[in-house]
Amino acid sequence: MRLGRPAAARKLTPPTIGYSVDESSEQDVDESSEQDQRLVRLMRSAQAGETAAYAQLLNEIIPLLRRAVRRQRAFLQPPDVEDLVQDILLSLHEARATYDPGRPFLPWLMAIARNRVADGARRYMRRSANEVVVDKLPETFPGDDPNTPGEVFGDPEALRLAMKGLPRGQRDAIEMLKLREMSLKEAAVTSGASIAALKVAVHRGMHALRKSLGKA
Amino acid sequence: METNDLVARLAVDAAPVRRLPSPAVRVVIWLAISAPVVLAVMVLMSSGVPLLLVLFDRQFLIEETAILATALTAAFAAFWSVIPGAERKFLLLPLVPLAVWLTSLGEGCVRDWFSVGVDGLQLRLDGDCVVPAALMAIIPTAAMLVMLRRGAPLVPRATLALGVLAVAALGNFGLRLFHLGDVSVMVLFWHFGSVLLLSLIAASLGRSVLHWRHRVRLART
Repeated sequence: MRLGRPAAARKLTPPTIGYSVDESSEQDVDESSEQDQRLVRLMRSAQAGETAAYAQLLNEIIPLLRRAVRRQRAFLQPPDVEDLVQDILLSLHEARATYDPGRPFLPWLMAIARNRVADGARRYMRRSANEVVVDKLPETFPGDDPNTPGEVFGDPEALRLAMKGLPRGQRDAIEMLKLREMSLKEAAVTSGASIAALKVAVHRGMHALRKSLGKA
Repeated sequence: METNDLVARLAVDAAPVRRLPSPAVRVVIWLAISAPVVLAVMVLMSSGVPLLLVLFDRQFLIEETAILATALTAAFAAFWSVIPGAERKFLLLPLVPLAVWLTSLGEGCVRDWFSVGVDGLQLRLDGDCVVPAALMAIIPTAAMLVMLRRGAPLVPRATLALGVLAVAALGNFGLRLFHLGDVSVMVLFWHFGSVLLLSLIAASLGRSVLHWRHRVRLART
């Protein structure tokens, strides 16, 4: 049993040389056949390890593949078309042992191309299923501060001076709980003050700092 | 990477390749690897039931022929499916012997029902054949996977389902030869059912097992 030759060859003829209904159709068929025979020879040599023949074969099929991809996916941008063409070339390279030089080359090539284009579409659908296109990124909070992408630092010198102006108890409480990030228990043990007193001192100290830094 | 650079790199990497033999030749190669394993397990696990007694049973012969034909056509279709440009209609080949097998089993169930009554359609748990079936499947499965991975994974789900169908049917062919005397409903449920179930599981795993290797390499880089 032969692998389906004539029907497949007609169906999979590359986009450049189709079987049109105009007067030049017979000439097109001849050209297609000649082109296929040349590619078969090149592929046979490529399978034997001839680098130059392989490079020539790949260079000859690139325009065919670009047109085939563009015809199947007309909406694709040129870089996406090029990505698919490269994917097809890599697949051809991987599958080159499956080619039988007794059969036409172009149906074999176009079967790989169709498979890669369909796979590309599946990948695209998978990706876009997890993406939502929006004109403006949604806000997480009504205020501007939480939505600021980077942390904005104020004037450290002004902060240092404002801290210096605080009563000792408040300054110590802020240093321990806010700057050194101690827990209330640890701060209570260190300072000897009660937890309640520390909470009050921090609250008052922060209020005083905001006031002196002009954010109250 | 520019396409021209890719062409240059592929051309440099173009070592000579050994062409894949035709699907029919590959079936023979796979059978040459798998059949001795099935035969060896049969001989080792045989319970001593004389085969001659069933060799004249018409239903048994039809079913065994259909199972073997399922194994061969499924293997052929699996190897066929990894060739770009090959016509897809040949992937349906195993459906014919599968239908014959199912019809014969259905006919057997009806006959058992008429002759024994409802008792002839009772299912029971039978784990005797699990170990020999597993032993029979290991090497044919490994051989099938290695051979399929040499082709192009164009329809990986169908390819793997067909490959596993071939392995399961071949194992079943051997299993029936020493696991005699089951009523048709048991064979239908456990043997035919397990063959179909394994094929369905294989179909679901197809894309993970058979894939273009360059895509995996690209994903890792």
